[in-house]
Amino acid sequence: MIRIPCPHCDARNSTEFRHVGEASARPDPSTATPERWRAYLYERANPAGWTSETWFHTMGCRRYITVERHTVTNEIRSARPAGGTRAEPAAALSARGDAGSPDAGGQA
Amino acid sequence: MPDTGVRQGGRPAVPVARGPITVPGARSVVDGWEVSTRRSTAALRLSDASPLAKVSVRADADGALADAFGVRFRGSRHQDGVLVVGSGPGEWLLVGRAGTAQQIAETVRGQGQSGFVTTVDVTHGRALMRLTGRDAAPALSKVCAVDLSDAAAPEGAAFRTSVAKVATDVIRDDAGGGTGEVSYLLHCERSSGQYLFECLLDAGKEFGVEPEGWAG
Amino acid sequence: MGTASTSRRLPAQAGEVVDRSRPLAFRWDGRSYVGLEGDTIVSALLAGGVDVFSRSFKYSRPRGVLTASFVDPGCTVQVDDEPNVRGSHRRLAAGMDVRPQNVWPSLRFDVKAANGLVGRFLTAGFYYKTFIKPQRLWPAYQQVLSRFASGGVTSRQNVHGYYDKRYVHVDVVVAGGGPAGLAAAVAAADSGCSVLLVEEEYELGGHLRYSGEESLSTLSDLRAQVAARPSIEVMTDAVVTGRYDDNWVAVMQRNVGGAIERLVKVRASVLVAAPGLIERPYVFAGNDLPGVMLSTAVRRLVNLYAVKPGERAVVLAANAEGDVAAADLTRAGVDVVRVLDGRAGETIRRATGRGRLQAVELEDGTVLPADLLVTATGWTAPTSLVNMAGDRPVWNPTAARFVPSSTGLPPTVLATGGLVGDGSAEELIAHGRAVGALAGDRAQGRPGDSVPALACEPHPAMFRASTHGFVDFSEDVSSKDVVAAAKEGYDSSELVKRFTTATMGPSQGKLETINTIAVLSETTGRAIEDLGTTVWRPPYAPISLGALAGRVFEPTRVSPMQGWHEEHGAVPLLAGQWIRPDHYGDAAQEARNVRENVGIIDVTPLGKLELSGPDVPKLLNLVYVNKWSKLAVGSVRYGVMCADDGVVMDDGVTGRLEENRYLMSTTSSGAATVWEWLENWLQTAHTDWRVHVTPVTTAYASINVAGPKSRELMQRVVVGVDLSTEAFGYMKVRQGRIAGVDDCVMWRIGFTGELSYELHVPASYGLHVWEALLEAGDDLGIRPFGVEAQRILRLEKGHLIVAQDTDGLTRAHSAGLGGMVKLDKSDFAGKPELAWHERFGLATAPRLVALQPVDPTAVPPEASQIITANGEILGRVTSSRMSPTLGHGVCLAQVDPSIAAPGTVLTIRLPGGGDISATVQKDLAFVDPEGVRLRA
Repeated sequence: MIRIPCPHCDARNSTEFRHVGEASARPDPSTATPERWRAYLYERANPAGWTSETWFHTMGCRRYITVERHTVTNEIRSARPAGGTRAEPAAALSARGDAGSPDAGGQA
Repeated sequence: MPDTGVRQGGRPAVPVARGPITVPGARSVVDGWEVSTRRSTAALRLSDASPLAKVSVRADADGALADAFGVRFRGSRHQDGVLVVGSGPGEWLLVGRAGTAQQIAETVRGQGQSGFVTTVDVTHGRALMRLTGRDAAPALSKVCAVDLSDAAAPEGAAFRTSVAKVATDVIRDDAGGGTGEVSYLLHCERSSGQYLFECLLDAGKEFGVEPEGWAG
Repeated sequence: MGTASTSRRLPAQAGEVVDRSRPLAFRWDGRSYVGLEGDTIVSALLAGGVDVFSRSFKYSRPRGVLTASFVDPGCTVQVDDEPNVRGSHRRLAAGMDVRPQNVWPSLRFDVKAANGLVGRFLTAGFYYKTFIKPQRLWPAYQQVLSRFASGGVTSRQNVHGYYDKRYVHVDVVVAGGGPAGLAAAVAAADSGCSVLLVEEEYELGGHLRYSGEESLSTLSDLRAQVAARPSIEVMTDAVVTGRYDDNWVAVMQRNVGGAIERLVKVRASVLVAAPGLIERPYVFAGNDLPGVMLSTAVRRLVNLYAVKPGERAVVLAANAEGDVAAADLTRAGVDVVRVLDGRAGETIRRATGRGRLQAVELEDGTVLPADLLVTATGWTAPTSLVNMAGDRPVWNPTAARFVPSSTGLPPTVLATGGLVGDGSAEELIAHGRAVGALAGDRAQGRPGDSVPALACEPHPAMFRASTHGFVDFSEDVSSKDVVAAAKEGYDSSELVKRFTTATMGPSQGKLETINTIAVLSETTGRAIEDLGTTVWRPPYAPISLGALAGRVFEPTRVSPMQGWHEEHGAVPLLAGQWIRPDHYGDAAQEARNVRENVGIIDVTPLGKLELSGPDVPKLLNLVYVNKWSKLAVGSVRYGVMCADDGVVMDDGVTGRLEENRYLMSTTSSGAATVWEWLENWLQTAHTDWRVHVTPVTTAYASINVAGPKSRELMQRVVVGVDLSTEAFGYMKVRQGRIAGVDDCVMWRIGFTGELSYELHVPASYGLHVWEALLEAGDDLGIRPFGVEAQRILRLEKGHLIVAQDTDGLTRAHSAGLGGMVKLDKSDFAGKPELAWHERFGLATAPRLVALQPVDPTAVPPEASQIITANGEILGRVTSSRMSPTLGHGVCLAQVDPSIAAPGTVLTIRLPGGGDISATVQKDLAFVDPEGVRLRA
């Protein structure tokens, strides 16, 4: 089980986190075309290699962090607070379905 | 006629508070809380500490209030009878004697305001318990995946992790335990308190753990 | 029948682990026996004259001891309630009731042995070709086949025993407690590391335990070194069974801390694999007869358990260990009639006997009567753990075995001992010491010095005699099956494994892999190094499901009043992790009572978030579709949240308690999601906004007081708040004292459609206030009501429930909430999608409508489909109940806009078959559509 080097806490088991997904910047809603907006909602590059993705530390500091991970080897080369880039999967389906399950942790 | 809590049939005039943890043993009202007064001399003890006042403070992680507290995330210290815990980036939990939540919140707000500060009384919203004894770390290691060695979690260390699948704050607080033995304070959101307490009792079974109530 | 002092028990052996002063009585196959403390189940039985312990999987052939170790294939037995116990490993305990498995009707006479007679028809893969047609006979086939399924018996009355879990953080894990492992552990400890040393047997030592006096003295020395270092934790009767990312290591530990098994999850900086070597059987006709065993089996039986394995032996030795085994036998008084030297090309042809070994036939035709045949024809390196770490083993033709390759391992996984090479005890210890020191360096972040390789000694490549025999004893796969598979085209390691099932048994290839591949090589003409092995996957050793399940604990959440609910007959509802009262006996009556008098419901699981700070209105405007800038102190507003795809995510009311202090409510199942949603916006997109979000869902006990008499009730318990309708109107919030409890929040909202107050009481006083309300309202007809009654009441009012009446595609307009969407706000979650939807999507988007079944007694099940005459699906029923207030069924449904006009008569297809009709209503609310009652 991989460890995520949370910049606030310390290296923790990945089960403490919710894997939010590949980072995808939210376009300006007042100028975005439907194609651009839907690319933000649904399209991801999904490389076999280095990717920039967001994790949320549900069982820890409850902060969103941006992690650079190699999708083939699971090596992680950086992890920093995710300020400035919205990366929550915008589709309601995944937002509800994930956090609503008992295993997702995080109790309000 | 508005009701102050007096009823027919002999119920108490003053409302009685009840914590989320039920410990077996004789019941009594201490500091306004209906609690078990059970004590134990076992080598490992798990006691209910829910009546303690708990105030959540949010402020700038590196501001004046952070300096005044003297601890940041992952540390804790005792200060004038209050345990100040760095519970998150820009978050603190202040734990004090039962009934002092308002006083604690006012003291915090009275500290020269620079920046945006919020205090919330979470006395009733958190279940709090204490695990004390020589085998406290091995027992906790049954249900907690974080390194509890003295090097990784020394006296004063504070962190949040999953304990028995519940998001739990853990504070290494030998000083607060009062016996010189290893002691941890653990707290989680209230409704999971009984579950967490029972899981810790099961985890400590191998080491002869016994539950204790609240002494005040 | 047997006693401790039969002729099979030898005089005291140096290094024996049995304690002759402690006899243990036990039962085997219905009879009484006596063994010694320290015996394994099988060594005690051998001493007692028993040779046969099981019947094989397919052919029901009698099987005895082959390896005298954990992986002994014919020694799996049932002990009391526990099936599949490894009899050659498990220590005997007094009073054990041991029985053979997979025998019918008995061990001595097994009907299924008839399979042996039809063996030629039961070649590999026969079950892919038989018992298939005709399909209607499958139940009959199942009856027959289940008789033939092997394995022990579990009682249906068995309770899940006590299983434990433990987390360990350590610098170095050493898997294997033989000479190299011991030396590595000591060296790592000496370099300042914490060490976990894991050993499968009950004591440390590996082969040093049974290799003679000199080895015993070396062993004693090593054990003392380990004992003298408190930083080494030793686990015996434990196995490292898996290695995962970042050296996350799983260890199975048995019989410790009051638990049957304990799964230890270790995070180690460095893993040292030192599992030694496993001896390989030889393939020849009769190689599974009781009486045929490996040289290590003989050495263990004689030296550890003081058991004489036979009277008259033939030994086939292709290495030095075989020679020493022959010497051990002679010392034990066994008549060793012949020693064949595999290094000189000598071998045997077959073994014969009825039910057990009686003679050994050589290539020149000589027949040697014997009751014991010992083979020492080679070794297998159990490379499992290093394979899990990324290593692919390579074939060493000189040594005739696979070894770890020198590349492919991360720097934090090391290997030592027999796994990597051969050597005397001293050489193995020296290698282990060097690797242990290197492990210490790596654990502390230093690269360390490379360790000189341990050379492999040459070994003859002996796999199969001139006859065919078993390559997999557990699965009853013979070398003939492998040849047949290859000829059918299953000619790679992976294919041959799956077609024949060789290596798929309990030992998972430890005894079978090399022989299987060697036979495949011989058949296909391809070299072993080109064929390679199949992939080794965790677990290395078997784990019971009980250990994986561990403590059976599911987090449950309860409100402060749950005890009261249980005492008063509440039927529990499990909603997520919450246990809530569904009803107290009669939900319809509870609902009626709310409409007529007053009822109270515990709604503590309702999500609640305290929002404080000057920028809260900005956050509210961002996450809700409607407007919030002008919400006054003391007012409450209903809000709907959509995600960026415009789909309805959650709803609730938010009230402004003070200038910079708001209380937001969410659905109970959405509480965690909404909290994270808010935090995401604040942490990533708007770090400059001054807003703090504090979850208070369980800081308050929440109670909904509903019904025409609720104001009267409130007036009896509330202090400090003017409750008149002018002072405290609908959608307003106040704070005050209730039943003597300060700091309570109460707001007027109307989910049930009646005059109602939702109270939020500091949780520790929840029960006090609940009981105070019941007492104060006694003469008003107060009754508690549960979730079911609340569902009925809200449905009568047409109030939707997110995720019940909406789904993952429902945009605001399809939930009847289009009017709430304020597109003139500058930005909010979902705005672009909602704007496009409003412009282009309304004509085809589903609508939420209220339906009344034509038949007043009909209550169509939720999710019933709404269909056209042609059977085309145009919608579904999302909520459905019988209304006690109105006396007929009431439903909400999502329907295609073409059938959404009020007055339309729809057809609902019931799940069980049959159709009913229902009429689309003008309003969503069936009761009081103008909302007069809740504004009272």
